[in-house]
Amino acid sequence: MKKLFIAIVASIFSFSAMAGGHAEWWKKAGAPYAGTVLQGVAENTPPGQFAGEVLAKQFEELTGIKVQLENTSWDSMYDKAIKDMEANSGIYDFVYIEQDIVYDYLNRDFLVNITEGLANNPDLQAPGVSLDDFTTFIDYFKDGSGDVFGVPMEAFIKVYLYRKDLFEAADAKAAFRAQYGYGLSPATSFDQYRDNAEFFTHYCADNGMECWGTTVQGHTGHPASTYEFLESIGPSFGLYNWGVNMDTYQSCVENGGQLNGGRAKAALNFWTQLLPFAPPEALQSTWSEVGASFAAGRAAQGWVYGENAAWIATDAEKSAVVGNVGVMLPPTAPGVMTQAAAGNGYIGYFDGGAYGIPHSSKNIEATMLWLQFIAQNEVQADWAIAGGRITHKATYADPKVMAVDEQADGYFTLMRDTGFLYAGAPPFPFHGAGRAAIDPFIYKALAGEMTPEAALDGACEALDKVMGDLGYQG
Amino acid sequence: MFSNNRTGWLLLSPTILILILVGLVPFFYVLYVGFFKWNPLAVDPSMQFEGFGYNYRQLIFDEVFLSSIWRSIRFAVVTLFFELSLGFLLALSLLSSFPLKSFFRGVHTLPLVIAPIVVGSIFKLFTVQGLGPLPHFLKDFFGYTLNYGLNADQAFWMIVIMDIWHWTPFVTLTLLAGLSALPQDPYESAKIDGANNFQIFIYITIPMMVPVLIVVIFIRLMDSLKIVDEVWMLTGGGPGYATRFTGIHIWKEVFEKRFYGFGSAMSILYLYITIVICWLLYSVMVSRGKSEN
Repeated sequence: MKKLFIAIVASIFSFSAMAGGHAEWWKKAGAPYAGTVLQGVAENTPPGQFAGEVLAKQFEELTGIKVQLENTSWDSMYDKAIKDMEANSGIYDFVYIEQDIVYDYLNRDFLVNITEGLANNPDLQAPGVSLDDFTTFIDYFKDGSGDVFGVPMEAFIKVYLYRKDLFEAADAKAAFRAQYGYGLSPATSFDQYRDNAEFFTHYCADNGMECWGTTVQGHTGHPASTYEFLESIGPSFGLYNWGVNMDTYQSCVENGGQLNGGRAKAALNFWTQLLPFAPPEALQSTWSEVGASFAAGRAAQGWVYGENAAWIATDAEKSAVVGNVGVMLPPTAPGVMTQAAAGNGYIGYFDGGAYGIPHSSKNIEATMLWLQFIAQNEVQADWAIAGGRITHKATYADPKVMAVDEQADGYFTLMRDTGFLYAGAPPFPFHGAGRAAIDPFIYKALAGEMTPEAALDGACEALDKVMGDLGYQG
Repeated sequence: MFSNNRTGWLLLSPTILILILVGLVPFFYVLYVGFFKWNPLAVDPSMQFEGFGYNYRQLIFDEVFLSSIWRSIRFAVVTLFFELSLGFLLALSLLSSFPLKSFFRGVHTLPLVIAPIVVGSIFKLFTVQGLGPLPHFLKDFFGYTLNYGLNADQAFWMIVIMDIWHWTPFVTLTLLAGLSALPQDPYESAKIDGANNFQIFIYITIPMMVPVLIVVIFIRLMDSLKIVDEVWMLTGGGPGYATRFTGIHIWKEVFEKRFYGFGSAMSILYLYITIVICWLLYSVMVSRGKSEN
């Protein structure tokens, strides 16, 4: 009896907390839509799982509105969402909008204007929920007039992760200094990164460990590799906006672009030359496999998406390197950091996504409630811990988040303090078509079928042709 | 008579209606779209008519598309050869009695009931470098490095092996059904005349199996030319273009690049090529069958 009482009290407090102390309002607002089933489709990421498994249940208990979130692979998610919105079939009430696809969606008028929708329906405006609570990441989901079309549910920066235990091993330090003539430490330059990668590949082999010097997100049949090059390696060498001249929409150097310029070629050379020091699965690795490889202790360092950084560093059930993960900004070429700080460049990818409502949704009002539910400050801390994502300014100061931050070597702090050095994808409505034109050349460079120089010459020609065919070159 | 016909048509009408809706209407829509320049990501996202041959003229000079067709045909021929040979051999084996025959037949049939995308997943888990058991086994026991993310030939042959594993049981079962239904008289006569097993197989079994073989060849040929799911899962069409079969290429053009008009033209042209290949094959097999009779 006592346990039951405690459970009921805990439940009331929990409801009260997750509803921001406005449980009654949520119940009342949800009443007209009770029994409605909202269908969503999203990429299967830790934050998406938390939304589908935890927040959706809380929302249903509070409002009677059921949320069925289909967390699936990145490819499948796009396939399903775009087909649904193109056909106007109304299968999905909300879809995941990755930051890089939002320009495409806005251009094609797929999404409901959330700002306008809430302004027109004051009864739907949840108390205590403000879009101003979000970090600047929400700006990516606004149109020219500042109206919001997507409620951010995840945001990360792609960081440099390294294995503290390996970098601090006394024998490794001594061997490294003897071999390279300087001290072993996490990389701040590309030469150092390469030396570290080479050293640890041999060090691991010599010590009977299943580990290699670096991760490489180098799948030779999946866009993940193109993204690693265009969004992480390239920018850190000073290749911005895919090397596309934003005025003329040309990417070849001879036409005023940079995709086959010196910085791009240096970046691709550097990256492909890391392959001998990467785990054997590197050429079949997307972002998920890179996270899994690092978590399994198979790499000493690497560029890793932030959505994986927190769990790799803290979740002992899934990660073999808990307590040994160091987090830093990735190395950059001279001048890149200065350009990024001045807002004239960026050092890597500010990744993330939002949930938006397609025009074809048959339950737009109920979905507005759901999106506001996940936008509450009260649900953010647990979500950040579960998914390594922060979308609200206040979340950084939450004691629970700060505790995890400490365990994760300051990942959240790094994101808060240096997030401005990162940028989302360039505002290309033709994002998917352009990237798909580049893909085969990156695959061939990784597989050694083309030199990096030839690959980038081919890639820029292909990209220019696509931009020309689509009418962007005037 | 008229009444009977009317009842027949009435009973057939739901099927005909469904066929029209899910077969003919989409086909004619794709044919129609194939005459337009259309990409919703373009500055002008509307459908633009640039002449009936606009997309088709581009296709003729599209090296990636043409090489994907050649790759698909090569794949279809190779898999057909192995699946037929292996399937025939297994079907003949299953005609005779041996211990655990039923068990073997059951296990052998299992791949057939697995969805193509799952077959791709199974092979990926089994063969992915660094984590799958097969590369470890090959490296440890034979010193052979299996890395189809790097090696184009390995990627192609891995897909071939996967397809053989998946579809040989279908060939076996179909041929087994055909073999079981063959009349026994010719065999008895041949034995009385002193023919050996090899002669019986070449001069009696194969000619009598031609109708079944034609069916199997057509089904497998068309399926092989359409392959997408398993490849998508295992290699994604890579490395480079190594396993970018036409189905994958069309998918990428239509759903990644959103060239709807161009992709539709591709689909139509590929359908035409598939029909021509099948028609040629059919003509050759039927005329050979007639001359042998």
